[in-house]
Amino acid sequence: MSDLRLWVQGGDEARVRAVLEREGFRLAESPRSDTDPLPAFTVEPDGSEAGSAHPRGDGARRVEDLERAVLELRNLDVAKSQFLTNVSHELRTPLTAIVTYGEILRDGLLGEVSPRQREAIESMIGSCRQLLGMIEEILTYARTNAQAISLRPSEFGVDEVVQAVHEMNASLIERKRLGFAAQLAPGLPPVRADRDKVAHVLGNLLGNAIDFTPDGGEVRVAARRSDLNPGWVEVAVEDTGIGIDPAHHELIFQEFAQVDATRARIHHGTGLGLAIARQFVEMQGGRIWVESEMGGGSRFFFTLPAVEAAAGAGGSVPSEAGEAA
Amino acid sequence: MTAAGRPLVLLVEDSEPIRAAFTILLEESGYEVCGAGTGAAAVRLALARPPDLVLLDLGLPDCSGRSVAGALRSAPSTATVPIVALTGRDDDVERAALLAAGCAAYLVKPVDTQALLRALPGYIARETASPVADT
Repeated sequence: MSDLRLWVQGGDEARVRAVLEREGFRLAESPRSDTDPLPAFTVEPDGSEAGSAHPRGDGARRVEDLERAVLELRNLDVAKSQFLTNVSHELRTPLTAIVTYGEILRDGLLGEVSPRQREAIESMIGSCRQLLGMIEEILTYARTNAQAISLRPSEFGVDEVVQAVHEMNASLIERKRLGFAAQLAPGLPPVRADRDKVAHVLGNLLGNAIDFTPDGGEVRVAARRSDLNPGWVEVAVEDTGIGIDPAHHELIFQEFAQVDATRARIHHGTGLGLAIARQFVEMQGGRIWVESEMGGGSRFFFTLPAVEAAAGAGGSVPSEAGEAA
Repeated sequence: MTAAGRPLVLLVEDSEPIRAAFTILLEESGYEVCGAGTGAAAVRLALARPPDLVLLDLGLPDCSGRSVAGALRSAPSTATVPIVALTGRDDDVERAALLAAGCAAYLVKPVDTQALLRALPGYIARETASPVADT
C-alpha cells in the first residue's frame, strides 16, 4: 500500500487526512522533490499497535476501506469543480451588465461624452472583458477537471486552425507591431483531433507569445511531421520574448503556477492557461513541452495525431516530459 | 411594429441587471422593449402581442431556451418571428441545435452592443431568417 502517493493542495490536507484516518489509514509525508510544487504523502495502514491490533486488520477489508476513501476524495474533487462552475457563472452575470452599461455610455446613448470620459469608459470595459476572460479560463479548467469535457474528433488541416487563431489575434499583433509568420511544412498530413480543443491550445500559446514579446518582436507558428514521434504532427509557437528559466519548464504546465511575481504582474493571468492546454493535448494522446532560455525567447511545442496514423494511434504515446528541453 | 413605428423587441433574460441594461440600450436605439424573466412569461407575452424580434437568453430558470424557441415556432402568430439566442458560454452543439431550430443568430455574452445594434435591422427585415452563424 505504501506505493500509493497523493499530492494534496494545501487547503485540502486536513480533509484528506480526516477521510483516510476514519478508514484506518494515515498520511505519511514523503520527501519533497524540487519538481513537485505540492506536498506529497504516502498512504499507510494505521499500524499504531504493530499492525494486527487494528480492528479491521485483514487485507481485503483494508483494500475495500481504501477504495471507499478514494471514492470519497474523488467526490470531494467533483464538488469543488461544481462549486467553481457555479461561482464562475455568478461572476459573469454582473460583469455582463457592467460591460453593457459601459458600452451604452461610451456610445453616447445616454448623452454626449467627452473624449476623456470616453477613454475612462473604454478602460473600464477593457478591464471587465479581461476579467471575463479569466473567469472563462477558470470555468474551462473546472469542467476539464470534473471530466465534463469530452472529445469530438474530426479530420482537419492544421493550416485552417492556424489561420483562424491568427485572425483572432490579428489586432493584438498589429497593436504591438509584432512580426507574424506561419510556416507549414509542404505535404503536411491532416490531423485527427478535436478541432475546438486544438484551436484553444494554439490560441493560448499564441496569446502567451504575444503577451511575453516586447513591441516590435516576432512570433511564429510552425507545423511539420514530428521526427521523434512518427505518425504525429508537431506544432510550434515561437517568440522573441523574455524567455523562461529552464528550472520552471515543468512548473508552468501545472495549474495555478505563475513562475514569479514579475511574470504574474506582466501576465495578469489565472495561471490556468497552460494547465488547460496540457490537459487538452494529453487527452488526445499528444504531448506538450517548451524550449526556452531567459532572454532567448520561447518555443512551445505540441503534437497531434496525423490522419494516416490514427488507426493505430497510441503507438508513440509520449514518454514523460522533461528530456525535451 | 408599434403605433409610433418602433419595432417591438421581446427581451427574455432572467438577470434583472442585464435586462435593465439591454432595455436602455434598445429603447435609446429606437426600439420598444417588452421584458420577460422566465420562459413561460416570454411565451405568454409573445402570444399576446407578437414582437418583431425576440432576444432570448438560453439560461432561464424555468425551462431551456430551446423549448421557448420551439414554442414560439409552433404557434402560428409567432412562427416567423426572428429569434436571436444569447448565451453565457459558447457551446457548438447547442449552437447547431438552435440554428437548426430556426434561430437567426447565436451570440455569446457579453455581446458587442454596437455589433448587435447594427445586426438587428437585418434580422427583422429577413423575418423568417435563414440561419446565420455569428460569434
